[in-house]
Amino acid sequence: MHLVIQALILGSLTGGVYALMASGQTLIFGIMKVINLAQGAFVIVASYLTFSLFQMTGLDPFLLIVVTTPIMFILGAATQWFLLRPLRPDDAAELSLLVTFAVALGLEGALSIVYKTTLRSIMPGYENHSWTIWGYQVNEVRFYAFLLSIAMLVILYLLLQKTKFGRSVRATVQNPMAAQLLGVNSKAVSAFGFGLGVSTTAAAGAVFGLITPFNPGSHYDLISRLLTIVVLGGMGAIGGSVIAALMMGVGAALVSALASPIWADFTFFIVLLLVLLLRPRGLFGAKVRGAL
Amino acid sequence: MKLSTSKFLKRRSTVAAAVALTLVSTSLISTLGNAASAAAKPLTIGVSLSLTGDFADSGTAAQKGYKLWVSDVNKKGGILGRKVSIKIVNDASSPDQVVTNYTNLITQTKVDIVMGPFSSLLTIPASRVAKRYGYSFIEPAGGGPKVFLEKNPNLFFVQPAATTKGGDVFADYILSLPAASRPKTAAYVKLDDPFAAPLADNIKARFEAAGIKTVYDQTYPSETADMTPVISGVAAKSPDVLVGGTQTADAFAQVKAMIQLKFNPKWLFLSNGASSPLEFPKAIGTKNTEGVFTSSDWYPQSTAPGTPAFIKSYLAMYGGNAELIDSTSAEAYSAGTLLELVAKKTGKIDNATIIKTLHTGSWPTLVGNLSWNAYGEPQGSYLLTQWIGGTLKTVFPTKIAQHAPVAPKPAWVG
Repeated sequence: MHLVIQALILGSLTGGVYALMASGQTLIFGIMKVINLAQGAFVIVASYLTFSLFQMTGLDPFLLIVVTTPIMFILGAATQWFLLRPLRPDDAAELSLLVTFAVALGLEGALSIVYKTTLRSIMPGYENHSWTIWGYQVNEVRFYAFLLSIAMLVILYLLLQKTKFGRSVRATVQNPMAAQLLGVNSKAVSAFGFGLGVSTTAAAGAVFGLITPFNPGSHYDLISRLLTIVVLGGMGAIGGSVIAALMMGVGAALVSALASPIWADFTFFIVLLLVLLLRPRGLFGAKVRGAL
Repeated sequence: MKLSTSKFLKRRSTVAAAVALTLVSTSLISTLGNAASAAAKPLTIGVSLSLTGDFADSGTAAQKGYKLWVSDVNKKGGILGRKVSIKIVNDASSPDQVVTNYTNLITQTKVDIVMGPFSSLLTIPASRVAKRYGYSFIEPAGGGPKVFLEKNPNLFFVQPAATTKGGDVFADYILSLPAASRPKTAAYVKLDDPFAAPLADNIKARFEAAGIKTVYDQTYPSETADMTPVISGVAAKSPDVLVGGTQTADAFAQVKAMIQLKFNPKWLFLSNGASSPLEFPKAIGTKNTEGVFTSSDWYPQSTAPGTPAFIKSYLAMYGGNAELIDSTSAEAYSAGTLLELVAKKTGKIDNATIIKTLHTGSWPTLVGNLSWNAYGEPQGSYLLTQWIGGTLKTVFPTKIAQHAPVAPKPAWVG
């Protein structure tokens, strides 16, 4: 029983970390209909940024998120503006897969040149600390990440539901032509939205760098996980991606701890397959494709 | 115009005869030429290395070792008065390209001797080429079980033991302890990898035979980034000893998970990852390395004869500091050393002599005293090393130990 509860705690906390990464991915899909294969690479870029800034300044990695978020936003918006915007609207969805994959490979290559393939960790001193609560270990960093992802969700929700920008985004998603006729600058909205989605990787990257050693090639494992989380949660449903991330975290932890780690990820795919068979739009996917 | 079959055959045989004649005459000429200028002609060595692709880092490290050896041996006047020159070509980590490269080196460039590439994956096809042409194949970096299943008598692996036997020295140490102070229970946490998992299994077989009970034995896939659930399963069984069949990232992740879960086994052995003097402290923090066991063939603090001179000339050529020297560089360097030793012993340097000579006796190199079975599998053992005071130290076998083994393992600092 102790093992089950410990696995539940570990899984939820890890799920929180993935939720943090997946929220941006879902946002990008919701707004742009772009499956961003570079999201994992952006997370790794943010990890390296945090790593270097921490080495230079000694400031706390969580504090550095304030600095890295705008940088990642600019990187994301620039990617959309220069690489995705010029695509012909008719095949934008398919071509964007290739373009974002190319971006991922480009970022990986650039990071390999600058940082080599040595594995790095961000080590502020408390990265492995855990609180012992009734005999259970709760890792501090993952707990903060969990809180961060909740905060991120609330911010994204408020931004989309309560602001003029949010209304423009939702209008663009529902009908780009009508939105444009009503004075929404849909091109700017798209770039801004993509930038926003990528900016969430700043926090995710800092957390990722704290909890696991990383190198430029680490993005492949990340992106495969992020995609499955987004699909399970329902493409574009931010709340859904959180639930899906938690399901993945808890499921993998339980199977790993109680049965065998070999089956941990496989189990998640079985769940994914069942959900897609019974509910093709994902757990929380809206009926209208792309609606938020 | 159509060629009738008989005409075609006739023409083909004429062509074949002409080709044969040319071949015979050129080889005759070159043989005569060889005899005349053998003393002055440099000894040429051909190597294919992965300078790009998956194994680029290790390939580059091997290149440094080979080139350093060539420079050092030429400073001493070469081999038997012949200057040594090395031709290194890039195989981009591809098993197909490596075959092309060695075939070209042997048949086109006509190098005198070839030495091995990086990884078992490339060593296997490369060693077949060497065997076909009767070349010796001293190789520093292909030690997987399949390499020796090739039954290639021309092959010599320049490390103390087959890679999957790298952990046997840890079993030797544990089983050398008096029965009362040995661990009673053991956990095996293994990466699904052709080197890492069999290495841990070899230790397990020895432990079980000695009555150490297995309480946990699981394999995890390479994409397991988060090891905390796995380690929580191990911690629930509280084993005395944890044997990690690890590569790199997963070794670091195991350690991080143990610290986070406050699980500290009395003995912790990690097959790979922990053996990197540079990466291990960087990835988990120097303070957390204390007491972790691993095994090595060469590392900067190694007491093998020649190590200080090797480090000195390495730093003179490439700069940096000793901690940055990859053991692969020392292994490639040792491959060269073997040629020097053979020449010194026999007064000759050719492929048949190398093969015949290396099959007897033992050969002192940076990576230990080497000797091989009929198919190039080394018969020695790795050094058991342990992280003590922030550096790796040899702790077993006792007669060459730099420090007594530290057990039980000190608590994690966090």
